[in-house]
Amino acid sequence: MKVQQLVPRAEEVDLEEILTRLRDISAGTLAPFVPEILEFCANFSRALFRDAEAKRFPELQALAFWMRKSELERLRQEFDRLKTSRTLPVPRGLVFHVPPANVDTIFMYSWLVSVMAGNRNILRISPRAAVQTTIICRVLNECLEDADKAMRDNTVMIRYGHEQEITAAISAVADVRVIWGGDASVNAIRSVRIPPHCKELAFPDRYSLSVMRTSKYLGLEEAARREVAAQFYNDMYWFDQMACSSPRLLIWCGGAEESSSASSIFLHDLHDEIQRRGYALDASGNMNKFTFLSRAILDQPVVSAQQLDHQLTVAQLENIRNLGRDYCGGGFLFQHYAEGLESLAECVARKDQTLTYFGFDQAEMAAFAQLLNGRGIDRIVPLGKALTFNRYWDGYDLLVEMIRHVYVE
Amino acid sequence: MKFAELLKLPQYSLPYAEKEQILLDGLNDLDAHHRLHCPEYNRLVSVLWPDFKKARTLAELPYLAVGLFKSHRLCSIPKEKIFKTLTSSGTTGQQVSQIFLDVETAQRQTAALSRIMTHVLGLNRLPMILVESRALLQDRTRFNARAAGVLGMMTFGREHFYALDENMELDEKGLHAFLEKFDGKPFFIFGFTFMIWQYLFQRLAERSVDLSQGILVHGGGWKKLQEMAVSNSEFKRRFREKTGLARIYNFYGLVEQVGSIYVEGENGYLYTPNYADVIVRDPLTWQPAPMGTPGVLQVLSLLPLSYPGHSVLTEDLGIIHGIDDSPGGRYGKYFSVLGRIPKAELRGCSDVHASQVSG
Repeated sequence: MKVQQLVPRAEEVDLEEILTRLRDISAGTLAPFVPEILEFCANFSRALFRDAEAKRFPELQALAFWMRKSELERLRQEFDRLKTSRTLPVPRGLVFHVPPANVDTIFMYSWLVSVMAGNRNILRISPRAAVQTTIICRVLNECLEDADKAMRDNTVMIRYGHEQEITAAISAVADVRVIWGGDASVNAIRSVRIPPHCKELAFPDRYSLSVMRTSKYLGLEEAARREVAAQFYNDMYWFDQMACSSPRLLIWCGGAEESSSASSIFLHDLHDEIQRRGYALDASGNMNKFTFLSRAILDQPVVSAQQLDHQLTVAQLENIRNLGRDYCGGGFLFQHYAEGLESLAECVARKDQTLTYFGFDQAEMAAFAQLLNGRGIDRIVPLGKALTFNRYWDGYDLLVEMIRHVYVE
Repeated sequence: MKFAELLKLPQYSLPYAEKEQILLDGLNDLDAHHRLHCPEYNRLVSVLWPDFKKARTLAELPYLAVGLFKSHRLCSIPKEKIFKTLTSSGTTGQQVSQIFLDVETAQRQTAALSRIMTHVLGLNRLPMILVESRALLQDRTRFNARAAGVLGMMTFGREHFYALDENMELDEKGLHAFLEKFDGKPFFIFGFTFMIWQYLFQRLAERSVDLSQGILVHGGGWKKLQEMAVSNSEFKRRFREKTGLARIYNFYGLVEQVGSIYVEGENGYLYTPNYADVIVRDPLTWQPAPMGTPGVLQVLSLLPLSYPGHSVLTEDLGIIHGIDDSPGGRYGKYFSVLGRIPKAELRGCSDVHASQVSG
């Protein structure tokens, strides 16, 4: 079967040959976190920082930042701590990554952890992939030219649509399959069989929210309030509010009257921040948003709606007990006033992923997580860190997921 | 002015200032009517236009996003009064619009359409070619907009000839027999733009068939023809060149406002009939756009009583070219449609968001 390869070189290749090569262990494979891997990834990070085209995309710069040498070194230390006197972490083998079409960079994080752990990797790139993906492939290829053979043989990216036979051929030899994407994509890929020993990590549709303590917010100086707006902007708008971890619901904890004044100050600041950053939505995005708002008014307990320019629409919810988890992105926020964190607990659902917070401390949030006891929410992070990736994502510890523990007595 | 009186006036005869007042009164009444009888409409207006009581200009009237007719049952009559339910002709798996008609609204649609069509066709019913297959109308379980459009138009013709078989093949023999029978006399051709082009013109282009006595009325959108790089003027030029057919009228209309169609005048622009109007809105601010500036089309119509479709924000882009100053002597606004708002994909973690929001 012929497929279009993008990495390590753009050319048409035979899929069986690729898979044979990826599984060939005769030349020796890389052990987890060996210097060659660290060196290569640090080079890749530097190349992304330097690349004129990549510089234009903040998400590529964020990726580069996360792969910088000091961060990789820290990850290595965390990895070392996984060893015990009787267990040895080893790579799982061949990891098949299926990223979604329209996410530019997030799949690279799970790829990176997998590479670090010494796995070999094959990635499916969608024909609809965005320009950021093209840049990643180009820069990666440039770095691979000077890399060790073991590194060159480590990662293959191929481009194809929804051809089941390609997915099936790769799945048949995979040791781990990683599926990013909407629920429909996850279900579609999942219907393709994997070997009995193969494990699967799925990252389906998620919903994220943000909580602010009204009294703490109202006590802020003007500069600090503007900083809150800037952080919220980053969380909300970076990927057109379509990242799983971008907040779609903002909850103020405090008295209704105080929350209402806090909200009007905050939305005003956020609106200013949007203007400053120059976020713009196109006509179809704005039409979608108007239709979404109208549907929300009919289906949810929306009591009022504010349309602050085309960039920001806010719909006030009377209660959030049966909140639908639909979303439209492009600057649409549900808002609700709650008395305290405890009253939120009953509204949390399995689909909820990231909770960003302001005005609470870590211990309070840990207590909240304990109260939920696993019913939902996988990440609780301070405002501004909604999109900051680390090894813990969607409830997985990726570093652990990418290795096997060999028990030696 | 009562709707019945308005119907009696010659089409396109109202100077805009006069028409605006008639529409404003009528649409304010409709707004109040639907707020009283359609809880969904009332809820939308009360949240989206909390201070709204009565419009002082047409632009102040509340409007509904056209997509709502796909996701919600919007109806201003009790169930037992529903006489007919229209659905848009979406492809499989797509959500379709649902429009609920009572007898009165259906009658208003028919009457209004007749006043528009006689303007194009004259008062006598002409022999008629339908560029459709007979099968379309036989399946009454799927009473979609296409079938409704065909049925509505059939009343303006006689001795109907269905030009296509169920495989969308042109019945050439039948066509020749039709042309022979009505040799030299005017006849009426109706169909959907894409089907006319694909199944009639493409088949006839290389034969010498004389359609010069025909009056062609077609609508349904240009999306497919745009993909084939056929514009409205190209469409007309090729028809005239190959078949002699010169009287061609495109129209614009929505299943959400059946009966209220905008037919092309001799200058190629679309005209607003007496009981309907269009507003172009800036796609980002929703403010009315100045004349000559493209934006999102909002369509207003006095016809819908049984469902809140009197003021609908479409997903089409359009541009208003002028008011009352048409070379053909018609009054009112004239405009053109630029096609659907182009869809840009938002990024994100999910592959399916587009269908979540647009479905």
